[in-house]
Amino acid sequence: MDFAIEDSPEQREFRAEVRSWLAHNLPAGIEHSVDPRDMNREQYELRRELGRRLGSKGWLYPSMPTAYGGGDLAVEKTVILHDEIARVGLALPPYYDAGGRMAAPTILVWGTEEHKKRFLPPICRGEVRTWQLLTEPSAGSDLAGIKTTAIRDGDAYVVNGQKVFVGSSHGADYSWSIVVTDPKGERHKNLSWLMIPMNLPGISVVPMDLLATGGESGSGSGVKNSVFFDDVRVPAEYLVGGENNGWRVATTHLEAEHGGMGRLADRRVIYEFIELCRQRHDGAAIADDPAARAELVELYIEAEITRLFALRNHWLSHTSQPRSYEGAQYSLRRKLSGLDISEKMLRIAGPRVLTKDERWGPLKGMVEYFQRDAITSLHPGATTDIQRVIISRRIGVGRAEREKAGALR
Amino acid sequence: MDLGLDQTQQLIQESARDFVRGACSRDTLVNLDRNPAAIADTLWPKLVELGWMGMAIPEAYGGTGNSLTDVAVLYEELGTGPVPGAHFSSGVLCARLLLEAGNEAQKQRWLPQLASGERVFALALTESSYGWLPENVRLAAAPAGTGCKLNGCKVFVHDATLATDLLVLARSDSGIDLLRVDARAKGVRVRPLEGFITGLSEVSFENVVVGPEDMVGARAGGWDALERALLAATPVLCAYKVGGCKAVFEMSVQYSRERSQFGQPIGRFQRVQDHIVHIVNHLDAARWTTYEALWKLDSGLDAATSVHVAKAVASESYLRACDFAHEVHAGIGVVREYGLTLHTKMSRSLYHCLGAPKVHRKHMERLLGLEA
Repeated sequence: MDFAIEDSPEQREFRAEVRSWLAHNLPAGIEHSVDPRDMNREQYELRRELGRRLGSKGWLYPSMPTAYGGGDLAVEKTVILHDEIARVGLALPPYYDAGGRMAAPTILVWGTEEHKKRFLPPICRGEVRTWQLLTEPSAGSDLAGIKTTAIRDGDAYVVNGQKVFVGSSHGADYSWSIVVTDPKGERHKNLSWLMIPMNLPGISVVPMDLLATGGESGSGSGVKNSVFFDDVRVPAEYLVGGENNGWRVATTHLEAEHGGMGRLADRRVIYEFIELCRQRHDGAAIADDPAARAELVELYIEAEITRLFALRNHWLSHTSQPRSYEGAQYSLRRKLSGLDISEKMLRIAGPRVLTKDERWGPLKGMVEYFQRDAITSLHPGATTDIQRVIISRRIGVGRAEREKAGALR
Repeated sequence: MDLGLDQTQQLIQESARDFVRGACSRDTLVNLDRNPAAIADTLWPKLVELGWMGMAIPEAYGGTGNSLTDVAVLYEELGTGPVPGAHFSSGVLCARLLLEAGNEAQKQRWLPQLASGERVFALALTESSYGWLPENVRLAAAPAGTGCKLNGCKVFVHDATLATDLLVLARSDSGIDLLRVDARAKGVRVRPLEGFITGLSEVSFENVVVGPEDMVGARAGGWDALERALLAATPVLCAYKVGGCKAVFEMSVQYSRERSQFGQPIGRFQRVQDHIVHIVNHLDAARWTTYEALWKLDSGLDAATSVHVAKAVASESYLRACDFAHEVHAGIGVVREYGLTLHTKMSRSLYHCLGAPKVHRKHMERLLGLEA
């Protein structure tokens, strides 16, 4: 076994190359707001600029095929890229691009050659930003129960409905959306995926006021929105994966979303919090309290387990190993440990973790944001209850037939 | 990065699985649990014949010099039994301790016989003030001629009933010494402890004289050598617990399919599913913390923190995985013939072995720089 993400001279060289490239190409003036909602337009544009620069090297979507604008890099180099981007406080992509992150692997599996050529290169090169549109006011966990319709009319689908908990601040170029193409059809056999250009007439975007963004640190997503479709005509060729075949296509999308890809360099806040508790002010440190020390050790252990689950999933997905329950397991762990960690932080450090006050709030408000974000993170990409259902089905609890994980490349 | 097993490890895994399937049927293990003395004549010769007692020993001393990860792959499978016996005490823990502490002559004398299974070593460390820290070692090594004399008692000693030799930590004027004592010598009494416990004994010493040739390594060097040996041996024991988690996981999944209530398999009930989700989470937490620690050790990296994390996680995971398995199994789970209680008992018996989770957490406080 080899857990090293940097072990060969070739990889060391690559890391040095990435680090030096970032030193030269990280746009001047990039700042890190703790709360993604505080990221202004100018900061967003700087991240997009970095995205385009990364994209031109195939580093924005490093494991995607080069033919479609990716880097076709092996797992070790992909890990190094994620790692180095995280070192400068960003994620890969360095802006919210959930639509791209989920759509790209899905289109790779389900799209026609024409779809791949049309949609993947702009995503991988950072030329477009894409949202994902799944949840609706009456369909959260029960995704198959969505009501937004896309009815074929000549050379287009006419879309009507509302999606919620969508995207980010500062708009998007595309919306990767699941819709009902056969309102009278059987459940699970009536859905399709559309890549909807956001400049079409009839689309309106209304921001939602949420406690926090929910587990997207580093990508700076900002506010979530409601998106309304009012007789929006989407060209028919923007339907991906076959009409009424959307539930099968969704298995790939959801696999990516449910943590199947593994997120690296996560939970930095824990390590910084431990450091904070170690620091002495007026001769005293939070860690002087034996009870606090014991809980800090627990935080560390939890961070280690979550990191290792992410590493395992990353390895599984990037080396095309068979996967089963691992994506949902990681996602569940991350959500539940988030709550547990935020409670421990509250116990260890007291009410200061609840404020982002410049004088009293620790780590520039990062801890306060974690308190809100841990709770908000419970729902995106499926609730903890749904994650448990997925794990059980994949393991084959109570059934001889094990449900298969969605195909990822 | 490659989190898979290499070819050697796959072969080890395969032959270990064959062994557990073949020689360690549920009935066999339930019977050995009732009559542990039979392990010496039934399981032990087979383990030895497969060459497993020499895996952690370098070729120069009659072993095969495998990596710790190789050894752990074996122990993960032995843990699925759980296969009882002194294999870990002798082949891993004491083997490493002799390697760390012994002088060249001692290594030449004992290790080949340990690898060949002729000698079976067990570690006698813990006492009435139970613990795996130096201050817990109080047994006196009183000066006697050129050697020393032992009077006193060790307790919760693993596998002493099966041992031919004991490695005893005792306190002399200069510090903690490591002594080899013939387990069948006059004055040594091994009394197995009965109860919800597997393989633990009280070992008492009455005027037991230890010659200078049985002082393992340097005087007062016992504890340092032990710490180094523990670092390497601990994650192998963790792998055994990973195997235990895996076994109760598989038992529980199987049972969730076969057992029917209210007209359907109980695994269709989400409450039952939740128990199994807990089990798989414990299994994987133990697995990946353990194998990362092993990889660090085999690669010569600083592994101390990872080893402490792994031991704390694996001990608790095994215990809790068994508890959740009992929630799934209910009544049948406590029928001894069913076999689940072998794991439950083992998870308790090994919980403190090589240091309880709280001890490892204490070490982590130091390593994370949290001490005042």
